[in-house]
Amino acid sequence: MVTPDAQESDIAGRAEAVVEVQDLVAHYGRHKVLDGVNLSVEAGEIHIIMGGSGSGKSTLLRHLLGLRRVSSGRIRLLGQELEGIHRQALQELRKQIGVSFQGGALLSSMTVGENVTLPLREHTRLDESTMAIMARMKLEVVNLGGFEHFMPSQLSGGMTKRAALARAIVMDPKLLFFDEPSAGLDPVVSAELDELILRLREAMHMSIVVVTHELESAFRIADRITVLDSGRILISDTVEKVKSSPNPRVQDLLNRRPRVEELDADAYLARLTGE
Amino acid sequence: MGFGHRTEGGYAVVELRGDVDLARSPEARALILQFLEQRSDLLVDLSEVAYIDSSGVASLVEGYQVAKKEGLKFGLIGVSEAALSVLRLARLDQVFPIHSDLDARIADDG
Amino acid sequence: MAEARLMWVEQLGRRTLGLVAEAGYLSALLAESLYWLFVGSFQRQPVRVSAVFSEMMRAGVNAIPIVFLLSFSIGIMLAIQGIHTLRTFGAESQVVIGIALSITREFGPLITGIVVAGRTGSALAARIGTMVVSEEIDALRVMGIQPVRYLVSPVLLAMLVMLPALTVMADFAGLLGGAVYSALDLGISYGAYADRVISVLKTGDVLQGLTKSCVFATIVTLVGVANGFSVSGGAEGVGRATTRSVVLAISGIVIADMVFTWFLNR
Repeated sequence: MVTPDAQESDIAGRAEAVVEVQDLVAHYGRHKVLDGVNLSVEAGEIHIIMGGSGSGKSTLLRHLLGLRRVSSGRIRLLGQELEGIHRQALQELRKQIGVSFQGGALLSSMTVGENVTLPLREHTRLDESTMAIMARMKLEVVNLGGFEHFMPSQLSGGMTKRAALARAIVMDPKLLFFDEPSAGLDPVVSAELDELILRLREAMHMSIVVVTHELESAFRIADRITVLDSGRILISDTVEKVKSSPNPRVQDLLNRRPRVEELDADAYLARLTGE
Repeated sequence: MGFGHRTEGGYAVVELRGDVDLARSPEARALILQFLEQRSDLLVDLSEVAYIDSSGVASLVEGYQVAKKEGLKFGLIGVSEAALSVLRLARLDQVFPIHSDLDARIADDG
Repeated sequence: MAEARLMWVEQLGRRTLGLVAEAGYLSALLAESLYWLFVGSFQRQPVRVSAVFSEMMRAGVNAIPIVFLLSFSIGIMLAIQGIHTLRTFGAESQVVIGIALSITREFGPLITGIVVAGRTGSALAARIGTMVVSEEIDALRVMGIQPVRYLVSPVLLAMLVMLPALTVMADFAGLLGGAVYSALDLGISYGAYADRVISVLKTGDVLQGLTKSCVFATIVTLVGVANGFSVSGGAEGVGRATTRSVVLAISGIVIADMVFTWFLNR
C-alpha cells in the first residue's frame, strides 16, 4: 500500500546520494591522513567503510560527522554541504542523523533511559509520556527492555553498544553512522548487532554507514564496501566485486596478510641510525 | 492536511492522514486521548497515512494503554505495509488489535 | 651562542603566542557560555535549570564546611598577627579595623576562590576531560547539543551565584574567628566587636570583595572547563589536565586579585 507520494520521494531519494565525499584531504599536523577520498552512499544502502588501524577510516568518520574541518575537498550529507554550513542548519541536519560511537559514548551521569530520551528532550516538544514510550520502544528494539534505570557503568560492552544504538535511532534518523559495532564483542553478540542493523534498514528505510575492521560482519550486512588503505580508497564496490578484486592490497587485507614493504636499504639504515 | 474523525458502528474513528511525525504526533495523541476521555470505543484509521514515525506509534501505544485501563475497545484499521514495518520493529504488531477496516473489526467483535 | 639566543627568542615567541591563543580561547568560551545563558531560551535551547541547581549544590553548598573552617582560621590568624604588630604601638584595640577590612576586601573572597578552585575547578576539568576521552562530548555535538550550552553555562551560572554567597559566609566566619581571639586576648566583648566592625565597614568594602568573587568564579570555571576540553591521551591526560587546572586557576585568582586591588585602591 504505497501511496504515489511515497513512491515519488523514494525515487527522488535514490537519485540523490545521502553521503557524498569529493576529493577529501585531511591532515593531522603535517601528516596527511586522507588523500583524495571520494565516496558516495546511496539512500537505503548499508555501506561499510573498512580498513586496518591507521588506514584513516576513523578520521573519515569524524569528517563525515562534521567533527573535523577538511583541509580540502567537499562533504555533503543528505544534500547539505558541510563546509561553511550555518550553525542552525547544521543543528537541523544533525537531528536527521544518528551516530553510535565505538565506546557507546553514553553520558555516564545519566541512566540508560535518560540517555536515550536526551535527543527528544533537547529537540522536540513531545509530551513526557510520548518521549518515555519512544525511548522504551527503542530499548525494546535493541533488546534492552527493562534496562532504562541502569547506569551506563552497569552495562556490559555489548549492552552499551545496543543502548548507544537505541539513542542513535530514537529520533528515527534518515542516516545512521555506526562506528565499530563488533569491536570487542564476542561473535554471537556481534552477529546479533548485524541482524539488528539489517532489521533497522528494512523497517525504517535508513541509510546506514558502518565503519569496521571486521570482515565477516562486513560481508554479512554490506550492500557496498569501501576499503581504505593509508588514507586512500582502494576500492568502493559491491561485496562480490570487492571479494574478487584483482588489487593485491585488497586481497592482502581480505586474507589478513600483513603488509610487506619493499626494503630500501639506505633509507632503512638512515632510519635506524636516526640520521 | 488535518486529522479527521467520524462515528461509525459504535466506534469513534480517528483518521490520521499524511505524515504522522515529530511535528504532528502531539496533535494525533491529543485527538486520541480526547475521545477516550469521552469514554468512547476507538479505532485509529491509518489508511491515509503516508509516513508514521516512532512518536506517532508512541501516541498509539499510549492510547491503547489508556483504553485498556478504562475498559474501552481500541484498535487500528487500514494499516499500510510501511506503518506495519515500523510496528513490527518493536513487535507491536503482536500487541495492537489490527484489522483491515471497520467492517472486519465489527465482524471480529462478533 | 647566537644560535642559543635565537632559540631562546623563538621559544619566548612561541610561548607568548600560546598564551595569547589560550587567552583568546578562554574569552571565546566565556562569550559562548554567556550567549547561551542570555539568548538560549529565545532560540528554544535553554540552559538546563536542573543542572544549575545540582551544580550549585555540588560547587557551593558542599563547600560550606571547608570554607567556613578556613575563613575562621584566617580570622584568628589575622587577630594574632594584628595584635602582635599593633602592641608595638600600644594600639592593639585597633586590631578590629584591620581584621574587618582585610577579611571583607581580601581574605574572604580569596580563601573562597582558592577552595573552590581546588574542589570545583579540578572536578570540572576531570569531568569534562573524561567526557572528551569517552567521546561523550562528540556524542553531544553530533546529537546537535552544544556542549558549552549543555555543560558549561549551567556551571558558570551556578558559580556566579554561589561564589559570592560563599564569600559572604566566609566574611562572617573570618570576622567571627577574629572576634573569638580578640575576646580571649584583649577581652573585647562580642557586642563591642560587632559595633566596631559595623562602624568601620562601608558597603564598598564588602562589594569590592563580592566583585572579586565573581571574577574568581569566572576564572575557576573557564580554566577548569578549558583544560577539560583540551584533554588528549586517555586517563593520564585527564590527570594532567586536573592538576594543571588547579594550579592555573589559583595562579589566575591571585594575580587577578592583585590587579583588582591595585585598580580599586588607587
